[in-house]
Amino acid sequence: MEMEISGVSRTHVSILPAADIKATLKPEAERPRCASTPCSPIRGTVAGYQILHMDSNYLVGFTTGEELLKLAHKWSEGNPEKVHVSEPVSSSIKSTVPKSVDLGIHRSSRIFKAKGRYYQPYDIPAASGRRRRRMPSSSDTFLRSLAHSESGRGLHAPLPLCLLKGKGAQSKSLDYLNLDKISIKESSDTEVLQYQLQHLTLRGERVFTRNKT
Amino acid sequence: LSAHLGRCFPDYLCSPEENVHMIDFTRFKIRDMETGTVLFEITKPPTPGNGQTQKCDPNAGRFVRYQFTPAFLQLRQVGATVEFTVGDTPINNFRMIERHYFRDQLLKSFDFEFGFCMPSSKNTCEHIYEFPTLSEEMMREMILHPYETQSDSFYFVDNKLVMHNKADYSYSGGP
Repeated sequence: MEMEISGVSRTHVSILPAADIKATLKPEAERPRCASTPCSPIRGTVAGYQILHMDSNYLVGFTTGEELLKLAHKWSEGNPEKVHVSEPVSSSIKSTVPKSVDLGIHRSSRIFKAKGRYYQPYDIPAASGRRRRRMPSSSDTFLRSLAHSESGRGLHAPLPLCLLKGKGAQSKSLDYLNLDKISIKESSDTEVLQYQLQHLTLRGERVFTRNKT
Repeated sequence: LSAHLGRCFPDYLCSPEENVHMIDFTRFKIRDMETGTVLFEITKPPTPGNGQTQKCDPNAGRFVRYQFTPAFLQLRQVGATVEFTVGDTPINNFRMIERHYFRDQLLKSFDFEFGFCMPSSKNTCEHIYEFPTLSEEMMREMILHPYETQSDSFYFVDNKLVMHNKADYSYSGGP
């Protein structure tokens, strides 16, 4: 018997039939904006996922590996004369996707621009009438300007290496990977030791000590 | 292995078939803990349990890409709620270790316990991410170089790796 952890029986969640899932964002009708709803909710579907909410003050795009590969395949089959590389590839990763291709980030801006919406992504909204504790620093304006100039470039990223590689992998154990003991385990390996010392300042990490001989 | 400790793994450390416990994430939500503002919420239908494999690259289903705005880097604590179903065997000591990197620098490692999960159950759990303190220069670099911030999420059951998900992030989101 299928049960939720709370004892309530599991109900089948019907999202969308696979045949109806489109690769493009399908927004629902926006509610009228008012002071209590500064951000219209972003809703749509992405490769089987249903986006229920996306606060555009903090998040303007989400996509999956499936979407990226679909678009890469689509553009690689497209007319090559119309495709150009807008900037040099900065990594050693080989990608068949031209840098100027929109890699399927479903962006709230597509909806907002069409609606002529007033959009201010960089202000941290106050909640319940109180200001946030962190006051903006003098560099915030600079960071915003950086983001504004880089927002278009952000769409032109290459595919991640993990999607370009297709080979299988053998599962490991936690002991083998040693991920949870990296910060405290003493080792004579110079490379590992250097890595551990390098990360002493991470918040919440245990302090690593080593007896010098 | 030690050569990869300083950066995100370029490849997956296990295959999708290693998920023998049929753990399937069906809902995900993140919120700002200071204000309670929900930042993002997504759901997906449960994966069919008839052993069908995806037609596309099997790794494609375990990678996601986020485009945040610079405001996201100003947050201090983010709560992440995950809802997931499990197969018909009990799961002991379900645990996630997630490591976030910018280029070859580890930003922070998170270690979350999900605990025990009853067989054939749907479970919901919220974990709190306390963001590391980032220098202005680091934030600037992260904004200037979208998708060079990456993460590995390793999921263990009884200390054996059963899932490995990856993500990358942009912080230059804007209109």
